[in-house]
Amino acid sequence: MSKISPVTGHYVDVDVDGLLYKVFYLENGNGQPLVCQHTAGCHNHQWRGLLSDEEITKDYRVIAYDLPRHGKSDPPENTQWWTEEYQLSADHYANFVVALVDALELENPIFMGSSFGGNIALQLALRRPDRFAGVIPVEGADHSPGFYLDWWQHPHANAAQVCASGVWDLMAPQSPDADRWKTWFYYSQGSEAFKGDLYFYSVDHDLRDKLGEIDGDQCPVVMLTGDYDYLTTPEDSARTAGQIKGGEFIEMKEIGHFPMSENHAVFRTYLLQALALLRMKAGAAATA
Amino acid sequence: MIATTSTATAAEWADAFARASDDDPEIQAHGKYFTCSYLLDMAERTFVVEVSRGRVVGVAVDPGPLEVAYQFALRASAETWRNFGVPVPAPMYHGIWSASFQRDLKLEGDILVLMQNLRCFTRQFELLRTVGVPV
Repeated sequence: MSKISPVTGHYVDVDVDGLLYKVFYLENGNGQPLVCQHTAGCHNHQWRGLLSDEEITKDYRVIAYDLPRHGKSDPPENTQWWTEEYQLSADHYANFVVALVDALELENPIFMGSSFGGNIALQLALRRPDRFAGVIPVEGADHSPGFYLDWWQHPHANAAQVCASGVWDLMAPQSPDADRWKTWFYYSQGSEAFKGDLYFYSVDHDLRDKLGEIDGDQCPVVMLTGDYDYLTTPEDSARTAGQIKGGEFIEMKEIGHFPMSENHAVFRTYLLQALALLRMKAGAAATA
Repeated sequence: MIATTSTATAAEWADAFARASDDDPEIQAHGKYFTCSYLLDMAERTFVVEVSRGRVVGVAVDPGPLEVAYQFALRASAETWRNFGVPVPAPMYHGIWSASFQRDLKLEGDILVLMQNLRCFTRQFELLRTVGVPV
């Protein structure tokens, strides 16, 4: 019997803000698109459990892409990117995600991202509520200072190990060793992008005075955060959701900052609740 | 280990911690260049751990002010250390990053040395979950 996975990989050209990217994504399933963003300095294998989750992929087309400069998505094709310091801005990040869902011709996509993916989910709900059926910010908040650190790229230390072991404590001790170590392994591969990603996460992303402008009716927001996350705590996410019109927040127990990667079995129980909430809100909007 | 503040128990803890580290497969597999010295300030007791090429070569118990040099220090209340020293720590007591961001742990001294040794140090610190803490 064949052991070939139903998960497939593809590349798509994305042209945004004058930059040309060849973007790699993995996908599986049929139905409403569920577009998934990995965490800073990482890549789409963090979504490996979700991509092969039969209960979810029977109803959703799960698409997990590598942001440019991560995994199999190269830096821009048309610039001398090596002559500049990489600092991801909120504008470019948001424009990129919209250009990606346009390039893939996705209708009514749900956007889900974790950590700096959770923060861009909030930015998308604010900027383009017309383009997304809803967002699921995971480990996200209005503001998340404190992680734009030189240690991630310090030439006198082993950057691969600093990044990987530096995020180790973001995971819960209850999460399976094998999954935590896979996450560690991914983080040993992304040090050159990690710090630049965190420029968005800890510096450029700040929605503290804009949450009230998010149209949670047009683009419902359901937030999920783990109780072992010390960077974006459940209190941070609850505070954020509480200021968004119709915003929902679910605290996840015994899990940390990389829930889909460190413990998909626990994460999926909360994700199913979030997806059900989005279906309910879509149904209510349709009958209103 | 049952928490106590007797000197004998502190010495026993130092031996147990050194033994756990030297017997740890992960540290021994990756510790060829794991070399540093650090202070554990548990408020009621202090220890200076010296590691050379993956082996614990010394644990000083309650050293005097100028007796033992170290490169970096971890300082926290005894209560925080007690929360580190359980099999499954509660949220925010599950590592030096979480406890320094959200609790009273202070990381001081030459942090570059900590970063240079972070992989094995992170594992060594987690040995407190099985060895316990002597405060």
